Amino acid sequence: MRSTVWVTVSSEQRLPNMVADEPTFARLMIGAQDGDKAATNVLLSEAGLWLERYFRRRVPPHSIDDLVQDVLIAFYSKRATWDQSRPFLPWLAAIARYRWVDHLRKVYKHEGQELMDDDAVEDSEEEVVMARVSLDRLFGQLPDRQAEVIEMVKISGLSIREAAEKTGQSESLVKVNIHRGLKKLAMMVEKAD
Amino acid sequence: MDKYSNRDDLIAALTEDVSPVKRVRSSDGVALIAFATIIAAVVSIAVYEWWDGLLTGEASGYFLITHGLLLLLGAASGAGVVNGAMPRVGGQSSAAFWGALMVGVLPIGAALSLLSGHGNHAHEGLNDPVALMCLTGSLSAAAIVMVASILWLRRGAPVSIERSSWLTGIAAGALGTLAYGITCPLDTFSHVGLWHVAPVGISAVIGRLVVPPLIRW
Repeated sequence: MRSTVWVTVSSEQRLPNMVADEPTFARLMIGAQDGDKAATNVLLSEAGLWLERYFRRRVPPHSIDDLVQDVLIAFYSKRATWDQSRPFLPWLAAIARYRWVDHLRKVYKHEGQELMDDDAVEDSEEEVVMARVSLDRLFGQLPDRQAEVIEMVKISGLSIREAAEKTGQSESLVKVNIHRGLKKLAMMVEKAD
Repeated sequence: MDKYSNRDDLIAALTEDVSPVKRVRSSDGVALIAFATIIAAVVSIAVYEWWDGLLTGEASGYFLITHGLLLLLGAASGAGVVNGAMPRVGGQSSAAFWGALMVGVLPIGAALSLLSGHGNHAHEGLNDPVALMCLTGSLSAAAIVMVASILWLRRGAPVSIERSSWLTGIAAGALGTLAYGITCPLDTFSHVGLWHVAPVGISAVIGRLVVPPLIRW
């Protein structure tokens, strides 16, 4: 029987463009499912790098590490659900997207609460995440009135009142349009294949 | 688990705890849902008694077609539930959707049949004396299948919560009604077309409303 020796490399030691390929991931994952510590360590490091790339195009830099850690924990705790007859990376991507949507949902809930409290003027960095996600592609699918006010309030930092004056919508309507637009964005991300 | 300031620390902590896992297999999910359906059928027979007409050839074609379609819908949506526990991107089957549409034709046909006065009047179909029994019997049997489906999904890692919830409700409704249906001696089109299909719709809505918080992880 051929044995494999996995070499552990910390994230600081890696070259930026080195990421394992599908067969390597699959072999490491089989080892991880069998309880091989070295394989698990290398797998988690490689998956971390892959996830970093995955989220780099989707969320602001300051949120990437939190999400990567979140997915690594989810991935580790659900490792039994990977079927060896299927490719590994779509499995990992599905978990990454699920945690991403979960992250968006939390931001959205926080967002909705704030709009209800009539206190949407001061945005925290975290709240802006929602509005920045794949904006060009996603905003194209929102009604203009919703995209317009989300962009003004959540990206440009205008107050609800200023957005209302600029767009000619009432303040209540601006809030409703932001609320519905953000909800629709979260749904679009969730349903996208 | 707490967030670590350094990803390498998290990886080291996870690696330290690693142990072999029992792989989740689709066949386990199929077996669990099939077993729950059989249990639902056995309980239904114990409560309502088996209908001999199924074996003596007394059952009408409408009865057999309706329950045959419920079996197909249950199989398609049950397969969707089983696959839904294994994360994947894309490649989702639309078999359950088309199966639901096919079964959805039955109540329309039954309603048209009642309105056009074939054998019965419309009020007889709607005032069916055993309709409530068929609804409650089917939904009770569906509850058994639904619990099994939820247990399966909780063991797995569903990533499309809404879809899995609908499929759970539809599979439970179709297989539960099938399990109960073998005890029902009423085999007219108006009865099976309405009252053996309505539980599927009700169960689907229950699944959509109840299942998401139970399978989110």
